[in-house]
Amino acid sequence: MPLDHDASGRYLPLLVAIMVYLAALALAGAMVANKLAVRWDRGLAGALTVQLPPAAAGSEDSDDPVLQGVADLLAETEGVVSVEVMHTGAIAALLEPWLGDTALIGDLPLPRLIAVTVDPEAPPDLTALRRAVLSIAPGSLVDDHQRWLSHLLDLARAVEIMAAVVVALVVLAAAIMVAFVTRMGLAAHDQAIELLHLIGAQDSYVARQFQNHSLSLGLRGGLIGLLCALPTLYLARYLLERVESDLLPDLSLRPYEWSLLVLLPVASALVTMVTARITVLRTLARLP
Amino acid sequence: MVRFEDVALRYGNGPEILKHISLHFDPGSYHFLVGASGAGKSSLLRMMYLAQRPSSGKVALFGKDVAGLSRRETALLRRQIGVVFQDFRLLDHLTARENVALPLRISGDTDSRRDKDVEELLTWVGLADHMDALPPTLSGGQQQRVAIARAVIARPSLLLADEPTGNLDDRMAVRLLYLFEELNKIGTTVVIATHNEALVERFHHPVTRISDGQVRTVEATAQGEDNSPAGAADLAAGLGANAGLESS
Repeated sequence: MPLDHDASGRYLPLLVAIMVYLAALALAGAMVANKLAVRWDRGLAGALTVQLPPAAAGSEDSDDPVLQGVADLLAETEGVVSVEVMHTGAIAALLEPWLGDTALIGDLPLPRLIAVTVDPEAPPDLTALRRAVLSIAPGSLVDDHQRWLSHLLDLARAVEIMAAVVVALVVLAAAIMVAFVTRMGLAAHDQAIELLHLIGAQDSYVARQFQNHSLSLGLRGGLIGLLCALPTLYLARYLLERVESDLLPDLSLRPYEWSLLVLLPVASALVTMVTARITVLRTLARLP
Repeated sequence: MVRFEDVALRYGNGPEILKHISLHFDPGSYHFLVGASGAGKSSLLRMMYLAQRPSSGKVALFGKDVAGLSRRETALLRRQIGVVFQDFRLLDHLTARENVALPLRISGDTDSRRDKDVEELLTWVGLADHMDALPPTLSGGQQQRVAIARAVIARPSLLLADEPTGNLDDRMAVRLLYLFEELNKIGTTVVIATHNEALVERFHHPVTRISDGQVRTVEATAQGEDNSPAGAADLAAGLGANAGLESS
């Protein structure tokens, strides 16, 4: 059948290209969110921060018996690998990018911080540790970052799920579109199809012509969509790298992640082919 | 070969186009269906080539009740039926040669010797110079000849023709009906629907008359003398031999 001359031949690749473009961005987003979650999880695993209320004005960390007492307690606790008392200068340096002049920061009532590294395999009993720290320094906070981390991980998972939903919706929309276009093709060629039937063609013979045509259009559209998505991803990566922030995701994808993106045109071709076949067979089943 | 038992046909909720049709065509027979335009000849043929199922009654082809056929069995049965449609139904994007070869392609017959059959048949119907022409560039009569060649190329067991000579001059009409006759002689059952009574009388085959959707009379006529044009018998025999059939 002369399917190449149908209007569907002109529009279907374009529509598939748009679908694949959106799917590629969504898939890349899901993969980046996943990497970000893993990075945050690994980065904060085995880390504790002990936060003590601000010291009296003018006192030095080294003179502070409470701070030293807590540091000693932590160092002697089983499961703690290392203890680092963060001095006022180090804390001020952390705040400088947000608050500006270090001299002014020194006047603020900053909490005193102790960075603790624990053995992830045999971590200390956190409840007992909190109780012990509070007995030495009332008002202290032992933060294992789990609350913050769990919120971030929830966010990352939500982004992943949303991206997966977008991909699923794109596939669904593509299938509906292909079914519609195929029905148009069947209607346009109804006389030829009836003739083929009457001279003994089986449904699969007719379906094969439509599915092969759709496979070709889907593959062509998928490749165009992917070729458009790649510069977009490259641009996004370039813009993110320019920000130079550890909090923002890294858009560099690993080889297997690239291969998933490259498979999108193949997947789009298969979706269009299978949808066309099913549509044709279901429509022809209604003929005598 | 073809058996109708109290068959009726209506399209949708409309009136019955055909009613109480009972007829039987033996294998290897040759029949004319005659009747005025709108009498129901084409509808009767449509049921014979399985484009239409009866509203009631039983239609059996090749000894099989068509109501019980699966889609696959229906397709395989259709391959044994050659049809010359009144409106030709050629595929405009295929050449005359490709149109004629279509039944072979569909049945998976990839034997290159069949190309020779296609060419020989097209030559015989006077289209040697138009083998690679597209149907829209052919006249009505030429298109009809392509349609006839397509109907007989696979050497069907049952040949159905709906006004096959409507667009042909008398000389070509007679020539083609002789080809049908030669095919009939080697075992093909032939049923021709026509309103051309003069042509029917010339060939002396049983005539089934239809009017107002009913079979009115079946007339058995004596076999006439063989006036086949040169080459018709050879061509028909050639098609049969290549199809692996023996001349009867």
